[in-house]
Amino acid sequence: MAPDISRRGFLTGGLAAAAGLAVSGLALPAALAAPAGQSDQDLCTLLDLSKCIGCEACVDACRDQWQADLPDPVQPIPRSLPARVPTEDWSGRKQVRDRLTPYNFLYVEHLEVEHAGRRVELHLPRRCMHCQNAPCADLCPFGACQDEKSGVVHIDPEICLGGAKCKNVCPWHIPQRQSGVGLYLNLLPQYVGNGVMFKCHRCLPLLRKGQAPRCLAECPQQVQSIAPRSAQAAQAQALARDMAAKDGASPERWRDYVYGLEENGGTNTIYVAPLPFREINAALLKDHQAKAHKERADAQAAGRPPEPGNLGRPAMGLVKNSMGDAQNLTLALAIAPVAGLAAGLGRLFSKTRRLAGPAAAPAKDSDSQKGGQA
Amino acid sequence: MNNHYAPGGRPAGWLYALACGLLIFSGLAQLPVMKRYYLADLPGLAFSADFYVTSNLHYGAAALLLGLLAWRLGLALRQTGGRWSWGPRGRWGWTLLGLLLLTGAGKALRNAGVFVWPGMMLALDLTHLGAAMAFMLTGLGVLARRGKPAGARQTALARSRP
Repeated sequence: MAPDISRRGFLTGGLAAAAGLAVSGLALPAALAAPAGQSDQDLCTLLDLSKCIGCEACVDACRDQWQADLPDPVQPIPRSLPARVPTEDWSGRKQVRDRLTPYNFLYVEHLEVEHAGRRVELHLPRRCMHCQNAPCADLCPFGACQDEKSGVVHIDPEICLGGAKCKNVCPWHIPQRQSGVGLYLNLLPQYVGNGVMFKCHRCLPLLRKGQAPRCLAECPQQVQSIAPRSAQAAQAQALARDMAAKDGASPERWRDYVYGLEENGGTNTIYVAPLPFREINAALLKDHQAKAHKERADAQAAGRPPEPGNLGRPAMGLVKNSMGDAQNLTLALAIAPVAGLAAGLGRLFSKTRRLAGPAAAPAKDSDSQKGGQA
Repeated sequence: MNNHYAPGGRPAGWLYALACGLLIFSGLAQLPVMKRYYLADLPGLAFSADFYVTSNLHYGAAALLLGLLAWRLGLALRQTGGRWSWGPRGRWGWTLLGLLLLTGAGKALRNAGVFVWPGMMLALDLTHLGAAMAFMLTGLGVLARRGKPAGARQTALARSRP
């Protein structure tokens, strides 16, 4: 079990860890290497956006590490029937790096936000948030989307059929589909599945070896840190209070300057910014709308069908806990058998047929033939 | 021994059928098929394309089924013998139902935030899916057999006799 880290201890340890990372480039601090596979606490990354200069070294590192491993589709890609399901082929556009694609797990948003009468330049690395209770992993019907003890949520490309349910239930619509690859090709490719969903796995194979995610290790500004979530949450709160104060807001408004702490029930990616995320989100939406308009026009000009959905660019609005209803309904599942057993033991509703007497026997026989389902 | 013990009468059977029907429908809707195959385009079925709505429906129907089965268990602990007008008739049906309940409980715990190892989760998902398919096909087979006209059944029975 991971040791409980005090704020002071964390800050000291965090600095040492950051220094260690800067020196080694790749190694995860020993204190965190063990939790990667065995800790009872999720590992969480904290991004201090005030440090990000938008150099995209993280994007380069991610693409260098993983893009070569990603499969190319069979040609021609089987067309789905009915034709409602779109064929999504990014294999000819692997160079795209300004949005999420099956070949690009991380991109950086470059924004200029009007804030308090001045223009603030902001750069936001965006990738999977790695939710603490991830709906993509909970609701995948085939067990292809999985979450690890380390807090990483990943998709097994050997199992995924590309139905895109994970993208549908994700509040940020992160996973991206590549058609023409994966298991579905060996089943009924026209009728079942449509490829494989891809997204950031926070360098899980490296994490399992005790190494840091590449985006974190390669960042020259040390924008990101990784540590057990409780420590990161404390650190995020401290940073956000500081940023709120510097922004002239009451420190009590610190939640406005944090994203991911409570979104979707809590995520293992927490952002802290020098201005409120409400304003960042408004700027993001405006920017995304303009880009979507242009990309749809480009697609039309190129003879491609316009891409549905949010075009691989997640917003940063308030997100309620997607699995909240399921969590509440679990209580109903626990209560129902207790209530049923109590009713049965109390013989409630038990006398209907018995009271009918022997004369009703033939009717009961007929009744008994109608009810069973299996 | 009372061979005609059917507590709750027809309403209990209807509730069981309702719970099973809703579970099968909402379970199928968890596969991404409702929109793909235009089922959600049918009047009144637009909700079936919303995975969260059908998930909640699945939970509600599961609670109803659990309540009914527990009620039956409670009565069975107090009564002996008798014939029930609803529920599986043989070991096959009960085995499938048991598998569905166990794997469903595992999935519900996971959805509530309890950590389940990925390999275990894969086994739970695939077992739940497989058992549900088998349960549905068995139920459809039973209903189809019962749906045959009595005359046809008797003719088939007479033919099968030496």
